[in-house]
Amino acid sequence: MSLVKINIGPVHPSTHGLLRLVVTLDGDTIVNVEPHVGFLHRGVEKLAENRMYMQIPPFIEKCDYVAKTAMDEAYVATVEAAMGIEPNERAQYERVILLELQRIASHLLWLGAMLNDLGHFFSVFMWTFADRDKVLKLLEEATGQRMFYVNMRLGGLRQEFPKDFEYHVLDVLAYLEKRINEYESFIENSSLFKERMYKVGVLSRDDAINLGVSGPVLRASGVNFDVRKDKPYYVYKKLNFKPIVLYNGDNFSRYKVRILEIKESIRLIREAFKQMPDGNATGMPIKLINPAPKNKVVRVSREGPRGEIMFYLVADEQRPYRLAMRTPAFINLAALNHIAKGNKFANLFPIIGSLDLVMADVDK
Amino acid sequence: MLINELIEIIEYFIVMLITAFAFAYFFGWLERKFVGKFQRRHGPTYLGKFGLLQNLADFFKLLTKEQVWPKKADKLLFLVSVFLIAGFTLYLVMLLPIYNFYIINSSIILLLIFIILSFLPILIALNGYSSSNKFAMISAQRSILLLISFEIPLFLVLIAIGYYVHSYSIVSIVNAQSNLWFLFIMPIGFFVFLMALLAEMERTPFDLREADSELIAGWLTDTGAPYYMLALFVDYIRSFFGAAIISLLFLGGWYGPFGNSFIWLFIKTIFVALFIMFIRAIAIRMRIDRILYFGWIVLLALSIINLYLVYLGY
Repeated sequence: MSLVKINIGPVHPSTHGLLRLVVTLDGDTIVNVEPHVGFLHRGVEKLAENRMYMQIPPFIEKCDYVAKTAMDEAYVATVEAAMGIEPNERAQYERVILLELQRIASHLLWLGAMLNDLGHFFSVFMWTFADRDKVLKLLEEATGQRMFYVNMRLGGLRQEFPKDFEYHVLDVLAYLEKRINEYESFIENSSLFKERMYKVGVLSRDDAINLGVSGPVLRASGVNFDVRKDKPYYVYKKLNFKPIVLYNGDNFSRYKVRILEIKESIRLIREAFKQMPDGNATGMPIKLINPAPKNKVVRVSREGPRGEIMFYLVADEQRPYRLAMRTPAFINLAALNHIAKGNKFANLFPIIGSLDLVMADVDK
Repeated sequence: MLINELIEIIEYFIVMLITAFAFAYFFGWLERKFVGKFQRRHGPTYLGKFGLLQNLADFFKLLTKEQVWPKKADKLLFLVSVFLIAGFTLYLVMLLPIYNFYIINSSIILLLIFIILSFLPILIALNGYSSSNKFAMISAQRSILLLISFEIPLFLVLIAIGYYVHSYSIVSIVNAQSNLWFLFIMPIGFFVFLMALLAEMERTPFDLREADSELIAGWLTDTGAPYYMLALFVDYIRSFFGAAIISLLFLGGWYGPFGNSFIWLFIKTIFVALFIMFIRAIAIRMRIDRILYFGWIVLLALSIINLYLVYLGY
């Protein structure tokens, strides 16, 4: 039988943005998947060279519009490392709380989108969207913005947490915990779901390491690597944090890792609130002239919801000489061809979904 | 004599046409509202009371859009197959009896209905091939896959019903349920029948043909707006047909507690339709390489067991 080439996207219901795939099919079996990226390319790295340090976060945040704080924080931490600034302990706790809230929001959105890719008619999508909105409300309360917070400042945050914020967060976390258990039982008791997720899109341990994937995709393949544990930053050392590792490497493991990570994040936030010391977390206001960088070359990596975010900065006096980004979705996308080969065409979309791609993050 | 009969037939056609259209419209609205409630949203609210006019607005919107022809399409086949699908689906509804109001009461009418019904996937495949779109092409292949997987169990259930009633006339089948619904006499058969009809109506978990997260719109991907509207409308009419045939064959048709009336048939039809929408709201698509297994092992075995049980019980 002759091979058929089929062009999917860039405008397609389940390509998560503007992803174009050229898929070669043998009957119903995938022979090759060739991702074509760049439809959202804005040249953030180049733009950064013409901006002052604290003018850059708005661009950086738009790279991953699902987990904005994660990107923002990673960048600001890079600049802090270059300038030799260390945020005080309260600021560290507050940053960890915001990061984990962002992780919950991102994973909730992913859960709904994943079920849609499997052919669910938007039900779970709507439910998780409503729950995610509660988390976004919390972030809005803490930062003053709904979508793009631009909340990180050198040495802290733009503003302290408002009064009663802790109680609002704990309320929402109790609600979310209940909801997550409901989702779990609703989704995992469905034999249709199990059939479509178990042993589909398997990525073995060695392949996962060789392809350089990171985040939940890596940990679902049985590699115990989490930046929060292996190169701990902020107060993750003090928190009782355990990375979630599963060993099957299939779609179901990738789903389960994220579900368990939401639960772990909920636990981490509660613990962080208990340990948080008093003090003031407000960082330096944005000024025209920043302190001069002490280190010329720094590299900082962070565990984002999608995987390892890495910033490489060659610092100049007032602006970066060169800023390079390693965004997780781009490298996870590179593993798509390897995972999807040999699967049925209908399984391609759940596999794309399970990688949790954000195309702005891929194209930068 | 002949004139009178002709008038009767035309009368029947008009009444059934209005019923089918009204139900199709009502189902379209009900589905949006009902599934919306499931998803913690309101559904259409803006146009008319409870958003009742929203579908009408969509209808006119699609009607006024430009008809775009795919360049390499076989235009004649492409056009004719859409109209054939619409025509045959309407014809199916015409053959349904409503209490004492029917046009043909032949003893083979049920077989005629289901032969036409199994002809529809072939027409859909034809449409998919003629549009020369690759997504539509895959959809066409899947249409045939569904046809070969579900048709035999479906007909085996019909044979069981026919064996029990000694007739394939729907009126006799409904009359045979005056005491006990076939749902309770052959529950396994009901399950098989429901699954096969879900596949026939492009409903989850067997909506492989449409599969909007994979194939965009399946066989309708390259169809221009007016014909898309026609196909959408036919989809609702097919839902009405499916709900009606289930309530006729398994839920006792027009038999109910306070006298027998067509109103009971309507109520049952609406409930079956709600059940189908409920499945749509909660189920995900079935894995494609399990469809053949499901059809040829699970459903076929169940339908043979059903047939055997009916034979034993009779």
